[in-house]
Amino acid sequence: MSSHDPFDDLTAELTALADFLDVPNPPPDDVAATVRARLEPTPATPEASRRPPAQRRRRARWRIVTAIVLVVIAITAATPQGRAAVRAILHYASIELRLSDSTPRPVTTPTPLPGEHSVAPADLAKQVKFPIKTPTALGTPERATVSDNGRVASMFWPGGIRLDQFAGTPSPYFFKTLGPPWPEDVQVAGVTAWWLGGSHPLGYIKREDGTSVPLRQAEPTLIWQSGTTGYRLEGAGTKEHAAEIAASLR
Amino acid sequence: MDDDEAIRRSLAGDLSAYEALVARYSALAHRTAAMLGAGDEAEDVVQEAFVKAFRHLSSFRRDAPFRPWLLRIVANETHNLTRSRGRRSELAVRLTATADVTAPDDPAGSAVATDRRARLLEAVRHLPERERQAVVCRYFLQLSEAETAQVLDWPLGTVKSTTHRGLARLREEVGNELA
Repeated sequence: MSSHDPFDDLTAELTALADFLDVPNPPPDDVAATVRARLEPTPATPEASRRPPAQRRRRARWRIVTAIVLVVIAITAATPQGRAAVRAILHYASIELRLSDSTPRPVTTPTPLPGEHSVAPADLAKQVKFPIKTPTALGTPERATVSDNGRVASMFWPGGIRLDQFAGTPSPYFFKTLGPPWPEDVQVAGVTAWWLGGSHPLGYIKREDGTSVPLRQAEPTLIWQSGTTGYRLEGAGTKEHAAEIAASLR
Repeated sequence: MDDDEAIRRSLAGDLSAYEALVARYSALAHRTAAMLGAGDEAEDVVQEAFVKAFRHLSSFRRDAPFRPWLLRIVANETHNLTRSRGRRSELAVRLTATADVTAPDDPAGSAVATDRRARLLEAVRHLPERERQAVVCRYFLQLSEAETAQVLDWPLGTVKSTTHRGLARLREEVGNELA
């Protein structure tokens, strides 16, 4: 018994069960051909070749926009005033938005991100596992930090502007608890970004056990995702200024 | 053409090589998307993941295995397209309706086995989300602990402890008897 894993029989059963599970599996050659068609550069008709993915992206985008709008309507319509209760949780760009029916209690003691340490702005790209971009509208940051074993890169500019960049993963990194004002969608370089126009509690979700760690009270923030990287831009002041900075990422 | 060769040629712009790579991993990618909760959107998710993987291929470390790198993108896309709508991800699979192949001469025995499988699947479905993700990756997708850690972006110790908790809970739910 001692050398035996107590779950051997159960794991064998689970592995056997896998063979009985039915999942959609379209013909691999068809999938490969469709993917290839989306990647194929066709200089003669560039518009036509780009249309299908654009439509698809638009559809995905509208699903997200609609979801957030519907949730917000549901919360505002169906909620008695009073204690702040989280009514819905949305995930977007590796950020978990916990929508509450009234203004959540502010975080008073700021905590840094796990393992946050300063690095030279020029060295930032070497310290993380994903491609780093810089907003040309702001130029070289005053200082930079790396957190959580290279998962989050942060840049800081005078006036309290802060840009966090993080590799997209299935589990979120940040959470934000939001009461009114509700998130507003903003178009940034072809993707939908969300403007969180009020100051709100920001926290971090630990990779180890999924627990939530409050960080600080965040100023109005723009959040968005481009490719597989998530972004949050804090301290830009207005939605328009934030969108302008976001659109200048190179 | 092995993975490394296909990736090398894809990086050089050879779309036929990438097409071969997509065909090779298509079934596994669909399985992963469905089991991590993409449901009826698995096909969209997988297509998007392969397009993104191609565009980010230059960030793939050539000395590392391709499979967990790709599956992490699939897992991430699954999350983007489904969880963004605020619903809990679900284990989107069904037990096959095909006749039981293990005991054709023993209809009673095979009915018991079918019932046992259905109960086990229901128990997996109802695991807390993180435990379910770990169990799905380890046993339904048959990924190693290290691959699971990479796909879910968890520390290795978390994969071990979460899987263990999930198994303990399943054992509690479905008991000890073997089919």
